[in-house]
Amino acid sequence: MKFRHLLTALGVASSGVAITILVALPALRRRIAAAMAGRFALPGKQLDPLSWIQVLPDERIRLLVPKAEMGQGAHTGLAQIAAEELEVPLDRVEVAHASTQQGENKYRGTFGSASIHDLYDPLRRAAATMREMLRAEAALRLGVPPETLVARDGRFETIGRAQRGISYSALVDEKTRWQAPKEPVALKSPDQFKVIGQPLPRVDGRAKVTGQAIFGQDTRVEGVLYGAVVRPPTIEAELLSAQPGQAPTMPGVVTVVIEDGFAGVVAETSAQARAARDAMDVTWTKGRLWQQADLEELVTVGGAHGVTIQRAGNAHSILAQDTTLRAEYRTGMVAHASMETQAALAVAGTSGITVWTSTQAETFTARQVAQALGLNVRQVEVIPTFLGGGFGRKAGDTVVSSAAVEAARLARAAGAPVHVGWERREEFRNGYVRPMTHHKLAARVRGGRIEAVAWQEASGDSVLGFTPHRELVARVVGFDPGATRGAWIYYNIPHRATTVWRRRMPLATGQWRGLGLVPNLFPIESFMDEAAHAAGQDPLHFRLAHLSSDEDGRRMAAVLTAAAERAGWGTTPPAGRARGLACCYYHGTVVAEIAEISLDEVAGRIRLHRVVAAIDCGRVINPHQVRGQVKGCVVMGASSALMEELTVKDGRVVAGGLDEYLLFTMADTPAIDTIILNRPDVKPSGCGEAPIGPLAPAIGNAFYALTGVRLRHLPMTPQRVLAALACRRDDQPLPLDEPMARHRNERNL
Amino acid sequence: MSLRTTNKATSSVQPGDATAGDCAITLHINGRDYALTVEPRVTLLDALRERLLLTGTKKGCDHGQCGACTVHINGERALACLTLAVMQQGHEITTIEGLAEGNALHPLQQAFIAQDGFQCGFCTPGQIMSAAALVREGRARTDDEIRELMSGNICRCGAYNGIVDAIVAVLEAPDAAV
Repeated sequence: MKFRHLLTALGVASSGVAITILVALPALRRRIAAAMAGRFALPGKQLDPLSWIQVLPDERIRLLVPKAEMGQGAHTGLAQIAAEELEVPLDRVEVAHASTQQGENKYRGTFGSASIHDLYDPLRRAAATMREMLRAEAALRLGVPPETLVARDGRFETIGRAQRGISYSALVDEKTRWQAPKEPVALKSPDQFKVIGQPLPRVDGRAKVTGQAIFGQDTRVEGVLYGAVVRPPTIEAELLSAQPGQAPTMPGVVTVVIEDGFAGVVAETSAQARAARDAMDVTWTKGRLWQQADLEELVTVGGAHGVTIQRAGNAHSILAQDTTLRAEYRTGMVAHASMETQAALAVAGTSGITVWTSTQAETFTARQVAQALGLNVRQVEVIPTFLGGGFGRKAGDTVVSSAAVEAARLARAAGAPVHVGWERREEFRNGYVRPMTHHKLAARVRGGRIEAVAWQEASGDSVLGFTPHRELVARVVGFDPGATRGAWIYYNIPHRATTVWRRRMPLATGQWRGLGLVPNLFPIESFMDEAAHAAGQDPLHFRLAHLSSDEDGRRMAAVLTAAAERAGWGTTPPAGRARGLACCYYHGTVVAEIAEISLDEVAGRIRLHRVVAAIDCGRVINPHQVRGQVKGCVVMGASSALMEELTVKDGRVVAGGLDEYLLFTMADTPAIDTIILNRPDVKPSGCGEAPIGPLAPAIGNAFYALTGVRLRHLPMTPQRVLAALACRRDDQPLPLDEPMARHRNERNL
Repeated sequence: MSLRTTNKATSSVQPGDATAGDCAITLHINGRDYALTVEPRVTLLDALRERLLLTGTKKGCDHGQCGACTVHINGERALACLTLAVMQQGHEITTIEGLAEGNALHPLQQAFIAQDGFQCGFCTPGQIMSAAALVREGRARTDDEIRELMSGNICRCGAYNGIVDAIVAVLEAPDAAV
């Protein structure tokens, strides 16, 4: 959808597409890259209040939203926005995620940190419109002019001596047919805001702390059965044959399902389904048995089909004559590892099917279920539940097999409701991962400034897997626009050239929190530090000197300065510790972070003690939520920077559990100090992803400050740290990486 | 059709035939008796989530590696995925659903809300059950000790510092009856 909008907005007429594209292709690609870097505003769409806002009989409001609640607090923020214009206290607003048959088909899908940004204006307008519809009706009922009524606390009251009023619930009680006016209504003046901007508690808080909140994993109906599906044992394995084997005779088995390319078992419990599934006779092709080194060789810059996504001046010719700094970086594959795995409950009826599932992309889900069952999409209702973590993983119905499609197929075959919940092992080995990347940077640094920089990047796919006509789009666009998030150089460098190579990896890769932000920010923000040191300058001052003088540059300067001041940048850290700095721009939000680390040189373990984060995400709807997202991004960013890597051996992802793929625990978590620079004059932008970018480079930069050694390969595991320190000790040139055998992260010596 | 969200009535009748070796047991959960028939290998976690529809206790890994399934057995924290249902007869099992007293939230539940101790909420029941037992254990006094003794409860959303704040708030409350 985004591509169609982009192409329309860029004025590419349908009839001249082929010729226009060929002629304008390089420039078109750079404009697409610029658009994806957040310098392009798509037109907003109006919301019909009657489709989304419901006045309930008991003085409550039900707000339907097209966005998932996955811990980022979107439901709370959206409720605050609606409550503000409706003049209703927040604790009388309940929020539900609209099913695919509720609401209008607008603003669906929860990604890109866009929920508040996209819905701020339309939701305010819809709520205000509803308020005015209610006011008109109240005026009629009370027999007074509408302008003499004040909306307050879910009621309209007359101003003046004779206090008369009527509640919203009473208004809807008698009148059941409403029509939204077409003329725009006046929005509340921001200086009157009582709810927006307040640190109010989460609307779903009580449900979450009592265990009453229903996640996809928890969905049940009368007579529910459980399903397990056969999984390819290697990356390229394809189903050759499937026979029931011992499965039909095993306890609790209701039916064994074998269809084209799909096989599974339905049983009374999930354990019985899995045991029976494992007892089926299934054969697979093996395909190529990929090794980690094969993948790294594939994802390496160079060769044909490099696409320039950003260009200013003549970086290549300048650097051909004179390069003063070169660097190379790699980032590994990473898992989402949300606490709730994929799960769905499907109930097939005579004319359609209902699927409950935790999803960030309910329309994708509905479409895939319809396709799999040969139904019209209107016969499929997907009801989104709470998500036990999304991070980009729960939007994958077009990329890999999804629990929703599996449950639907099994439910139809069994003639009964079927729940499918993925096992943790399946989550690691049969989902999609954040793709590998490789980077080479070169620069000319003169007189304390970067005069020219060239950045080469190779990356596996991030969003192309979710795009219809994937290979055609890949050929036309030439790069993956999700993989290049964070690759846009904002610094004021006169000669810039960024070239990317799209490398489709053999295993499924896709969106991970921030998409390309973490894989790109590590090289560029590490490189900025390398350039600063080459120029003999402090990394903070170096960055400030390279900021543009526009609004973005000023906002970046403000967060850099705020973080530096709070962190004590420039003062001596506690003994054995060092600080590193990094900053990023993402979808209109700017973040600067400073990490303070120490190092156990014997174990090779980096200990993260403190992170100071300064964030400007425009007007803040709820500071609690912003703080929460910063904290969450810091933990996930640091965990993935220090500990997390999926490796492949003999054609298969190695890790199968949380004992092999280690995540930060409470004991690993640093003190996190968040400074919010509230900018009420700037439209709210997102905070769910931007703060994850700076962690890895801030830690890497702190490591350099501490040891004089540059780490170039994420994650910064003890093996890599020890190898780097050994090179320093032996005065050897630092290789990019030591040979990767089976990855094991030692936690205790 | 709407979702079943309340636990099944006690029943020892299996849909379909009971297999030889199934055990008829009674589990005492949140002050109530539940009669059910299970295979010996059925975990307490699966019995809770699939037989009794008490889905407040979560399955994060099913291998004892994440802590999401933490419940209390005789007041002590235990991982329901590593516990066999048939071995729990005669024990007092408490799940997240049994922590609040009617509408009155447990002090930890209140603290988790006040201190932002959660984001997606999936690990939250396990965190709260683990924290409640931790407080009763009486061994965690410092921030570091709390973190170490809670390190078996993974939170991918990274709400850890809010969780610590919530636990500290309860530990420091004047009459912390936990």
